Amino acid sequence: MMTPIRKILVYIDGTEQSIAAAQYSIVLAKSLKAELFALYVVNTRALNELVKSRIFIESEQEEYSRDLQEDAVRYLNHVKELAHKKGVPVVTENISGAVHLEIKNKVNELSIDLLVLGEISQIRSRRDELYNETERAMRSVPCSVLIAKDEEKIWSLYEALE
Amino acid sequence: MALIDLIEERVIKIPLKGQTKTEVIRELVDVLASAGKIVDPPGALAAVMERESKGSTGLEEGIAVPHAKTEAVKTLTIAIGISPQGIDFDALDRKPSQLFFLMLAPPDQSGPHIEALAEIARMTRSKAFCRTLINSQTPREVVELFQDD
Repeated sequence: MMTPIRKILVYIDGTEQSIAAAQYSIVLAKSLKAELFALYVVNTRALNELVKSRIFIESEQEEYSRDLQEDAVRYLNHVKELAHKKGVPVVTENISGAVHLEIKNKVNELSIDLLVLGEISQIRSRRDELYNETERAMRSVPCSVLIAKDEEKIWSLYEALE
Repeated sequence: MALIDLIEERVIKIPLKGQTKTEVIRELVDVLASAGKIVDPPGALAAVMERESKGSTGLEEGIAVPHAKTEAVKTLTIAIGISPQGIDFDALDRKPSQLFFLMLAPPDQSGPHIEALAEIARMTRSKAFCRTLINSQTPREVVELFQDD
């Protein structure tokens, strides 16, 4: 029988929820002997919107862009460490663009079987449905999607992994 | 984190009493301090004023989005204020500013800060929504408007 999940992509955005998603992905990758990929997207679309709307001045755009790049490196290194501790190889990538589009592109490019996302904020307005990037990624990718919930349980699963 | 998650009645002030840019920003910082959202109110005020010195965050159609990255807050924080008569905020269109979104973020939370500001940017494109917000009489009305939108 063909293995249903050979490639897993986890999206990292620096939130605690996305780190829990990374831990869960490591557990899954080890259990399923799947390849693991971790992606961070520097949201340049949001930065461009802020300059266009004049909320940001150019120097702010540069400063925040640098901050986001540093965040990307920091969080992806953290995921590498988490995976390394459990003997799971992970390929990390940091790209810039519109978050949901870049996730979708990466899923297609790598022929991902399963996208793992951190718990999504409660949708409390129509605007959330339209603009929440994680929500949009979940809806637009062509593969199956897993939303990692219950951080404590995930932590226990990750810790128990040999 | 969605913008609505940050908006609660105690971080909204209607009407604002300040008559100048500095007074309004101080008033909004005080709102956040009273709500227990700021660990260093003078530091927060200084950070916002420093940002304003580089270029006004007064946009068009009566909206202003003063903001800063500062150690004075531990998490992303927003205050909303409405000044029905409007004040001079050096806005792009030179019109008085009436609707204020003060946003403060710690230096290590640039991602959520940018996403929340971008959400405000998108929201301010809806003139009808902003008009309705400006005409709100109570903090409860503002919260409900965000929930209904």
